[in-house]
Amino acid sequence: MIFRLGLRAKLLFFSAFLFCIPYLGYQYVGELETYLRIGQEQTMVGTARAVATALHERPVIFTEQSALVNTVKPGTDLYAHPIKYPIQLDGQLTDWGDYQAQFMHYGQAHIIEQQPGQDYDPTSLRFTHMVGQYGRYLYVVFDVLDDEVIFRNENALRIDRNDFLQIAMINATGQFQRYVVAPYQSGWVNAYLLDNSEETFVPLKLETRIQGQWLQSSNGYHIEMRIPLNMLASNIAFAITDVDDRITRQHELTIGTANPMQSDALGTVLIPSPEIEQILQGLQYANARVWVVDKHKRVLARSGDIQSAQGLDVTDKYDNANSRFSTVASSTKEESSHILSRIVTHIESNWLLPLYYTILSKPPSSFVDDLADAYQLVGSDIDKALTGKPETLWRVSSDKQAVILSAAHPIFVAGEVMGAVVVEQTTNGIRTLRNRALEEQFHFFLSVLVLGTLALFIFASRISSRVRRLRNDTEQAIDAQGKIIGSIPKQTAGDEIGDLGRSFAQVLDRLAQYNHYLENMASRLSHELRTPVAIVNSSLENLAISNTTNHHDNVFIHRAQDGIKRLSLILNNMSEATRLEHTLKSSEPEPVNVVSLCDNVLENMRMTSQRHFVLDNQIDSDTTLQGAPELFAQMLDKVLSNAVDFAHADSDIRLALTQQTNTLSLSITNTGPLLPEGMQSQLKESMVSVRNNDDQQVHLGLGLYIANMLALYHGGQMRIDNTPENDGVVVSFIFSL
Amino acid sequence: MKRIALVEDDLALRENYIAALTQHGYQVDAYASRQAAHDAFNLALPDLAIIDIGLGDEMDGGFTLCQQLRSLSTTLPIIFFTARDNDVDTISGLRLGADDYLTKDISLMHLLARIAALFRRTAALQETSETNTSHDTLTVGELVIDTLRMTLSWQAQSIDLTVTEFWMLHAIVKHQGHVKTRQQLMDESQMVVDDTTITSHIKRIRKKFSAIDPSFDYIETVYGMGYRWKQGAQS
Repeated sequence: MIFRLGLRAKLLFFSAFLFCIPYLGYQYVGELETYLRIGQEQTMVGTARAVATALHERPVIFTEQSALVNTVKPGTDLYAHPIKYPIQLDGQLTDWGDYQAQFMHYGQAHIIEQQPGQDYDPTSLRFTHMVGQYGRYLYVVFDVLDDEVIFRNENALRIDRNDFLQIAMINATGQFQRYVVAPYQSGWVNAYLLDNSEETFVPLKLETRIQGQWLQSSNGYHIEMRIPLNMLASNIAFAITDVDDRITRQHELTIGTANPMQSDALGTVLIPSPEIEQILQGLQYANARVWVVDKHKRVLARSGDIQSAQGLDVTDKYDNANSRFSTVASSTKEESSHILSRIVTHIESNWLLPLYYTILSKPPSSFVDDLADAYQLVGSDIDKALTGKPETLWRVSSDKQAVILSAAHPIFVAGEVMGAVVVEQTTNGIRTLRNRALEEQFHFFLSVLVLGTLALFIFASRISSRVRRLRNDTEQAIDAQGKIIGSIPKQTAGDEIGDLGRSFAQVLDRLAQYNHYLENMASRLSHELRTPVAIVNSSLENLAISNTTNHHDNVFIHRAQDGIKRLSLILNNMSEATRLEHTLKSSEPEPVNVVSLCDNVLENMRMTSQRHFVLDNQIDSDTTLQGAPELFAQMLDKVLSNAVDFAHADSDIRLALTQQTNTLSLSITNTGPLLPEGMQSQLKESMVSVRNNDDQQVHLGLGLYIANMLALYHGGQMRIDNTPENDGVVVSFIFSL
Repeated sequence: MKRIALVEDDLALRENYIAALTQHGYQVDAYASRQAAHDAFNLALPDLAIIDIGLGDEMDGGFTLCQQLRSLSTTLPIIFFTARDNDVDTISGLRLGADDYLTKDISLMHLLARIAALFRRTAALQETSETNTSHDTLTVGELVIDTLRMTLSWQAQSIDLTVTEFWMLHAIVKHQGHVKTRQQLMDESQMVVDDTTITSHIKRIRKKFSAIDPSFDYIETVYGMGYRWKQGAQS
C-alpha cells in the first residue's frame, strides 16, 4: 500500500521548517551574548586600569610590606588574615573556627634546632598556627601537640628551661628584637623582651604589649597572643621550643616559622593594607569584586562581593526568572477578573517557562566561591598582569554554577610591577539578560509558530476540502457508465480552484451536449433517413405497380423492396430507444406485482418459443415495485429473448427471484457461449452487440440497452456476467424496494 | 373522382405519391408549402388531405394546416404523414383532429388501404345520415363496432378512434379471448412498427375508453405475447 499524503499533511510537514526560526533566534541571542561578554571584558579591564591608576607610584604601600622580597616561602612568610569578629584571648580555639583552613601545620619540615643524633618524633612536638589581623592588632594562635608539657619552675629565673614560645621581629624603628613567652602555668601571659646579645635568653623586661593566654590542653597547649601592629614593621618569626625532661630541662626540639635567632632569617608577615583598603572602599559600589595583590599574588586588599557582582545589573529593568515566578503568583490575585490574562500567565509559568529552562540555564542565586577566604590568588591573568600586561580570564566556579570573568591590571611603582589589580564579575547579568531576551523571543516565536501553523492548517483544510468537494461533485456528475447525470455546482471563488471548478463545469456541459448529440444520433439519423427511404420505397412500389409484365425485373424490384424493408426496420429500431425515453417520461408509475408478472411472461414465452423456462421464486408473491407493468414485461421480454437466442438448444432458461432486506434481485440465466472478455459493462451500451453476423435478423445491440433503460426506470441496476460455473451468461437486476 | 390534397415538401416523394395515387384512381392536388395549401384550401376543400408536419422551414406547418382544415370541415379525413415518430408529435397531431398518424416508412399499399378505408367511412357516414340503414356491426358486451363506418361505442357512447387504432381494437375484439400478438396487430393495422409504438397505441385506446368508463379494463396485456379482449366482457 502506498502511503498517501494529503495536502494538509504536506503543508504541515513543510511548515515544520518554521521551527528553524527559534534556532536562528537562539543563535542570534548567543552572538549577542558574546558581544556583551566582550564588552564586559573591556569594561572590567577599564575598571582594573582605573583602580591601578589610583595605586601607581605609591611605594609606601608596597615598601612597608614584605612585597620587596623576591621569593615567598610558605610557612615562613606569613599572611595575616583579616579577622571579622573580635578574638577573645582565652586560650580556646573556638574563635578561630572559621579560619581552620588557614591554619598551617608545622612539623619536621620546620625544625630549627634539634638535639644532635636524635630523630624527629612527631608526638614530641608539632603545632598548627595562624596569624590574623583585627583592628590594630596582629593575632597569633598556636595549637601545640606536646606529649610532655613542662612549665617554668616557679622559682626559676631562667626562662628557657621549659617549653617556651619565641617571637622575633624587626620593630617599627628597624631594630631586631626577640621576645619569649614562658609561663609558670596556664593563664594570662606576657612576653619577655630578650637581651639582644645573641643566642642567649636573658630577659630584659616584661613587654606587656605582647599579651595573651596560654592554656594547657589534653594533649598539649594552646597559645593565643596579640601584638600591636605598630610594634612591628614586617619581618617576624615564631618558634616553639620543647623541653621534655624535667630534670635536665634540655632543649629537645625547636620548631618555628623561621629562625628567631638571626635577624636576616626572619620571615615576613603580610598584613592587608589599610591604605589600599581605603582606596578600594569607594569601589564597593562598583558592582565588582576588586582585589589588589602583590607581586607574589598575595592579597593586599579586597572589596566587594562576587555573589552580587553580576556584571550587568538587569534585575531593576527586568525581573529575573525567579522573581517572575513569585510576582506571577501574587499578581494573579489582583488580576483575578482578567481570566484571560490569568490563563496566559498560568500557561507561561506552568508550561512555557519550565520548557524554556530545559534549554536555558538559569543563573544561580548563589554559588560556591573558591576565593571567599583566599589570601593568595592564582590565574593566568594575574601572571600576565605581573609581567606588565592587562589580561582577562574566564573561569567556572568549582560547582559549575557560575562563570566568573576576571580582569587583571599591573600596578607600577618606579617602572616595576609591584602588584596587580584584579576585578571579578560573574556573567549572571548577561545570562539573565539573555534568558529574558530568549523568553520574550520564544514567546513570540511560539505564538508565530502556533498561529502560523494553525493558519496554514486551516488554509490547507479549506483548500483540500474545496478540492475534495470539487472531486465529489465531478464524480457525482458522471455515473459508473460514464453517463453525465448532473452538473457541477457553479463556483464563485475567484481563485485557481474556482477556475478549475468552472472549467470542469464547462467541460461537463460541453460533454453533456456532445453526449446528448450522440444519444440522439440514432433517432436523428433515423429521422433524417426516413424521407429518402420513403422516396426509394415509394419509387419501388410505383415501379412494381407499373411494371406488371416483366417478371425478370420484378425479382429485382422485390429484392430492393426487401432491402428497403430491412433498412426501414433498422431505422425504427434506432429510434426505439428515444421513443421509449419519451414514453418513460410520460408514464405514471404504478405498482407492479413482480411475481405474477414474471410468471405471466414466462407462461407466454413458453407458448411462443419452444423453450423450457424455469421460474425460481423465493420472494413473497405480493411483492410490488413502482413502475409500469408493460415496461417491466418489455424489459423481461428483451432479456429473455436475448437468452433464447444465445442459449444452447434444449437447455433451460432460468429466472430467479430473491429478496434481501431492502433489495430485490432478479436474474435470468442461460447456458451458452460466454461473454467476450471485457465486454460485460459495454453490453448495456447502445449499439453494442456480440452476436455473430451470420443470421439474417436485424440486431443493433439495442435490446440490452433498452432493458437497462427500463431497469433504471424501475429503480434498478442491471449487470451482465458469465455464470460462476462459466457455462453461460447471467443477466441480473437489483431493484431497491 | 375523389380529390386528395397532398402537402409534402419533398419533390421526389411528392411525385411518387402523386403517381401512385393517380394510378389508383384519385385526383391528386399536391402542394409543396403550407401557404400554397392554405390558399388552395380556402378556395376549395379536398375529399381527403395527407399532410406532412414539417413543411420547408415551418417545423409545425402541418399542424397549422390541420387546424385550418378542421375549422373548415369537421368531417374531412386528414392523415398526418411524417418522418417524426415520437409520441409527442403523434399525440399533438391526433389532438388536432387528424384521423390517422402515419410514419413515412409505411408502404404505399398500407397507405392506400387507409385512404380507401377513410373514404369508405365517409361514404358510409353520409349514407347513414341519408338512409339510416344498418350495417355490419359487431357487438361484444357493451362494445358495439360498426366495421364499415369504423365507428364504435362503449356503453352506448361513441368513441373516436383513428384508423390504426380502430383496426387494432377490431383485431383484438374480433376473436375475444384470443391473444393477438403485436405482430398480428401490426398486420391488421397495416403498419410496420416496433413494440413500443404498439404499446403506445394500446395505451391511447385504453385511455379513450377510460375517459367514458373509468373502470374499463377489458383490453388485457398478455405479457410477452400481446393483447386480448377479456372474456368477461361477453356477459
